[in-house]
This record gives sequence, C-alpha cells and structure tokens, in this order.
Amino acid sequence: MQDTGVHLRDVTKSFGAVDVIRGVDMDIPRGQFAVFVGPSGCGKSTLLRMIAGLEDTSDGQIAIGARDVTHEDPADRGVAMVFQSYALYPHLSVFENMAFSLRLAKRPRVEVDEKVRRAAGILKLSDHLDKKPAQLSGGQRQRVAIGRAIVRAPDVFLFDEPLSNLDAELRVQMRLELARLHKQLGATMIYVTHDQVEAMTLADTIFVLQGGHVQQHGAPLDLYDDPSNRFVAGFIGSPSMNFFEATVAGHTKDGITAQLAGQPDQSFDIPLRHRPEQGTVLVLGMRPEHLMVTAAGGMRVTVDVAEELGGVSYQHGTLEGGEAVIFQQTGARHGMHGTVQTVTPELARIFVFDKSGDRVR
Amino acid sequence: MTAKRARNLAFSAIVLIAAAIWIFPLYWALTTSLRSENRIISDAGVLIDELNFSAYIDVLSTSKLPLWYLNSVGTSVIITVIVLLTGMMCAYALSQLRFPGRQTLYLLVVASFMVPVPALYVAQFVLMNDLDMVNTWWGIILPQLIVPVVVIVYKQFFDAIPREMREAVLLDGGGEFVLLFKLYLPLNWGITAALAIITFISAWNNFFWPFLVVTSEDMMTIPVGITQVTDAFGVAYARMMALALLAAAPVIIGYLIFQRRVTEAVMISAGVKG
Ligand SMILES: Nc1ncnc2c1ncn2[C@@H]1O[C@H](COP(=O)(O)OP(=O)(O)OP(=O)(O)O)[C@@H](O)[C@H]1O
Ligand SMILES: [Mg+2]
Repeated sequence: MQDTGVHLRDVTKSFGAVDVIRGVDMDIPRGQFAVFVGPSGCGKSTLLRMIAGLEDTSDGQIAIGARDVTHEDPADRGVAMVFQSYALYPHLSVFENMAFSLRLAKRPRVEVDEKVRRAAGILKLSDHLDKKPAQLSGGQRQRVAIGRAIVRAPDVFLFDEPLSNLDAELRVQMRLELARLHKQLGATMIYVTHDQVEAMTLADTIFVLQGGHVQQHGAPLDLYDDPSNRFVAGFIGSPSMNFFEATVAGHTKDGITAQLAGQPDQSFDIPLRHRPEQGTVLVLGMRPEHLMVTAAGGMRVTVDVAEELGGVSYQHGTLEGGEAVIFQQTGARHGMHGTVQTVTPELARIFVFDKSGDRVR
Repeated sequence: MTAKRARNLAFSAIVLIAAAIWIFPLYWALTTSLRSENRIISDAGVLIDELNFSAYIDVLSTSKLPLWYLNSVGTSVIITVIVLLTGMMCAYALSQLRFPGRQTLYLLVVASFMVPVPALYVAQFVLMNDLDMVNTWWGIILPQLIVPVVVIVYKQFFDAIPREMREAVLLDGGGEFVLLFKLYLPLNWGITAALAIITFISAWNNFFWPFLVVTSEDMMTIPVGITQVTDAFGVAYARMMALALLAAAPVIIGYLIFQRRVTEAVMISAGVKG
C-alpha cells in the first residue's frame, strides 16, 4: 500500500506581517492518529488548513506520501476535512450532502448510492438519509460531516475541533466512535482539539504547538511523563502541573538539593544527571497526583477550594509564600476545605526546568 | 379583556376603511369597463348593474393588445433573467473572489445606484439609435439591464454565507461555478425570487423608456399601448378601463400567487434604497 503519511518541511505561514506558523517540521506516518494541541491562537487551525490547502503556504513544503502537494488545490490532495461548525449544505438532504463530492466527480449512480449507504451504515445514519441537516441533532450533524469525508475515501482526514459543539455525554460517545472509525478505516487522521481527554485518548502522537512552533511531539504518555519544557509540562495534564521557584543549595551523590524560594525549611533531594551549579535558579514542577499528604515536615498548604469529583478530589490552596498549589486526593472523604495540610512531593517525579523553561534532566 | 377587544375592533374598522378607499379606483375601473360607453356618460353610478363585455371584445379585437402583451412579457422576462444572472455573478465576484480593484469596483456599483435613470435617457436614446436598435426588443431591454440593487442585495446575502461551507465545497472538488450554482444560489432562492419579482414588475411597469425607444405600434409594450388606444378611440372610458385592467391583470394575478414574496421583495429593496 502506498505511503499516505503527512510530511511537513520547514513550513511557514504569515498573514501580512504576522508570522503565525514559523518553521514547522513534522512526520505523521500512514494510518496514525495525530493530535494538535496548544493554546488559543497558536496556529493549530491554520496549520490544519494549510495541510488541507485552504490556506496558502508561505514557505516550506507539504507532502502527502511521496507527493509534494504544497501548491495543489484542496480537492486534489486526497484530504477531507470535518469542520467545527460541520458546514453541512443546509439545502441538501443528508444523502445529498454525503453524495456531493461523488456527484461532482460524476460517479455512476449505483456507485454513489452504494458508497453513501455504506458510510451511512457505519455512522448509524441510515434512517435519516432523507432529512435536511436542520432536522438532525448536533451529534447526527457531526456524523453527516464525518460521512461526507468518509465517502470520498481520502488518504488523510482532518478534524478541527469536531466535537466542541456537542454536550459532554455526546462528546464522550463520539470520541469512542472516532477511535473505532480510525481503527476501521486505517487512514491517517489529524485532529485539532482543546480537550485534554480527547488528545490523550485518541492520539498516537500529540503535537504541542505554541507561537507557531512545535514545542514537543510524542506519544501522549511520553509527553505526560517526560515533557521537554515547562510549557509542555504545564499544558499537558489537567489540572496542570504546579511550578515553584527554587535554587540549587548543593549537590548530592546522584542529583541536587533544591531549596524552595522563600522557604528555607523546604528542600528536596532530586535525582538529576546534569547538576546545575550551586545557586542556580530553577523551576520545580510537581503534578497534583505526586503531592502526598503527610503528617508533618512537608510544605504547608492552606486549602481554599476543594473540588470533590467522587473518585478523586482536587485541593486548591496556597503555600506560605502565596504560590498557588493543587494536589490530588484519591478516595478521601474528609473535607479539607479551609484546613492547613502538609504535602510532600514524590522526589523522583519532580520535573526540573531552568529559568528559560527548558527541562534539566 | 373587553377594552382590548374594543380596541381591536376599532383598529380592524380603520384598516377596513383604508382598504376600501384604496381599492375603490380599481373597483370603479371594473364597473366602468363593464358598461356601455353611452351609459358611462349619462350615469356615473358605481354599482355593477350591467355585464357588458363589449369594451373588452372591442379592445381585444381592434387594438394590438395581444402583440403588446407579447412584447411586454418577452422584454420583461428577458430583462429579469439577464439582470438576475449578471447581478448574481457580479455580486459573487465582489463578495467571494479576491482580486485587485475589488473594493473600487464595488464602490462604482454603489455609486451607479445614485444616478437617476431619466438623466441617461437622451444618451441612451442616441446610443440605441446609433446601434440601430430603435423599435426593437433589444432597444427596450439593454438600458434596463443595469440594476445595481440586485448586485448589492445579492452581495449582502453572499457575504453572510459561512466561509467553512465554501471550503467544504472546495474540498469536495467544486470550483467557482459549482459554488455559485450549487451553493450560493440554492441557499438564496428566497431572495432570488424576491429580486425576480421586483425586477419583473419594474420592467413591466416601465413606461417612459419604451415610450421613447418605440414608435412603431407593433413593438409597443402594454403601458405604451394604452396611450395609443386613448388616441384611437377618443375619450372611450369603458375601453380605456378594460385595457388598463387587461394590462394590470398579469401583475395582479402574479401578485396574488406570490403575495408573500412580493411583500418581502418590496421590503428588502426599500431597506437597501432607504
Ligand atoms: N485570515 C487571517 N488573517 C490574519 N490573521 C489570521 C487569519 N487567520 C488566522 N489568523 C491569526 O493566526 C493566529 C492563529 O490562528 P488559528 O486560527 O490557527 O489559531 P488556533 O490555534 O486554531 O486557535 P483556536 O484554538 O482559538 O482555534 C491567530 O493569531 C489569528 O489571529
Ligand atoms: Mg482553531
């Protein structure tokens, strides 16, 4: 089977004087599910639309498989896109919406009928083929939009926040269906989302974008367990990682002793291969689930809000120095709201960043 | 409750009276056309107490009314079709295509809207004369093909169509023609119908231009033809009214069929003009 992966080489995009995408390289192998995440305005949609051919590429090269498509028309690239707003054709029935591209390609009637009905079967739309989009629920509309993509049998599916207009329950359901669909079709998929859970559960590879750069890419758990900079560490994971300023107080056999800024009694022996000089200012990152409530000797946290989710709870509070901190409790049922707790981090799970935000390992 | 009812009744009464005043001339034309010429002069009653169709028969058999009908229908239909097609395409280009001079072009269209049409009659007549189009359908049609309102209205409606819908068509393999005729036009059938109606009515009712450019009785449109009848018959009220009613009939029937659309159309064009 031919390669239908997506390969970007030093791709840039500027709108007038504004550089939105600045030199992005990426390789998404055939059949992979890639997810773009990043803060609002970081260029996720723009990059996706460039791959679709809906935006010109200012510089660099976009290839699908071995084919350079940088300057090809959207329809010739073998990509299909599902929009956040669905963008269904309101005047056409569900059937005609899905058949639109085939009709334009002048496919024989039998083939159109067969392909549309098969896609409708996969998406459980068979009973709705004669309805107009306005007569469908949000979830059904989203399925029609996906059906319109499937019918074209594209090499690459592009999704721009496809589930963000759905309510929570439907979102979970559609997420599972998308995962199933990906297995079933085996096509390359690129998916833009704001939703951590969607990114973590759907992705083979997550690309974290910021300011028009790919900050890091990798398997979801690799990004979670081993972020390469402070931005990625803070962006992946919800609630996000706690960051505290610290200085190197001394070196140990296999790491450093780091002292929290403004709290001389709080120091941690952290295993590290590269040991920064004594006195270096660092940032320590600790995930909420790696902060344990201990009897004494830890960091004192005044809990001001407790989010109880049943299985787990997130305790939001402040350290003595005023730094915000979140820690996680599992199975606990004693309301910590308003109390002072002492928490201790798992030393091996502390992430160390230098002042510029790069990871120190 | 009763106060509210009373107010409603009073309101209905006022509306009814206004409607009666408004419709009276039409009604009078009808009664007049159904009387004999002699009776009209001796007795100016307004009741339908006579069903005398001689005026209609006379008008239909002695004047060139059938020919005028044909000319009116023909020119109005051609004008409507061309105006809508060109207006739609122009609006599409101004709304969706990106090319240098687009803004200027749109301003020109808007500006042409400010030129009073009668100001151009002399120039247009000279032009038609030079083109040898006096006393032809094209002579009647050509100057009426410039209707900036159509462009402006279409552009506003095209502007409102979400960009993603357009992009979906591009990804599905459609080009500009597919976009216009399979997306933008079908999404705007309502406004197209409305624009068709106002364009048709204004072409149908247009008197002065056809009156200038046509001198041969065979090429006249109905409004121009009516003046001929008056001349030919002297003061022939019954026949005049019969002819006027026959001329208005298609418009009235059309209005009854498309009532809602016409109201919409008038409101939209008033919105743009006002
Ligand atoms: N047509 C355009 N003209 C000018 N600037 C644009 C255009 N499209 C996008 N931008 C700018 O490019 C940047 C990236 O936009 P983009 O839509 O890709 O962000 P995003 O990552 O998808 O954000 P979100 O998560 O909010 O959807 C933004 O700063 C935006 O203002
Ligand atoms: Mg976006």
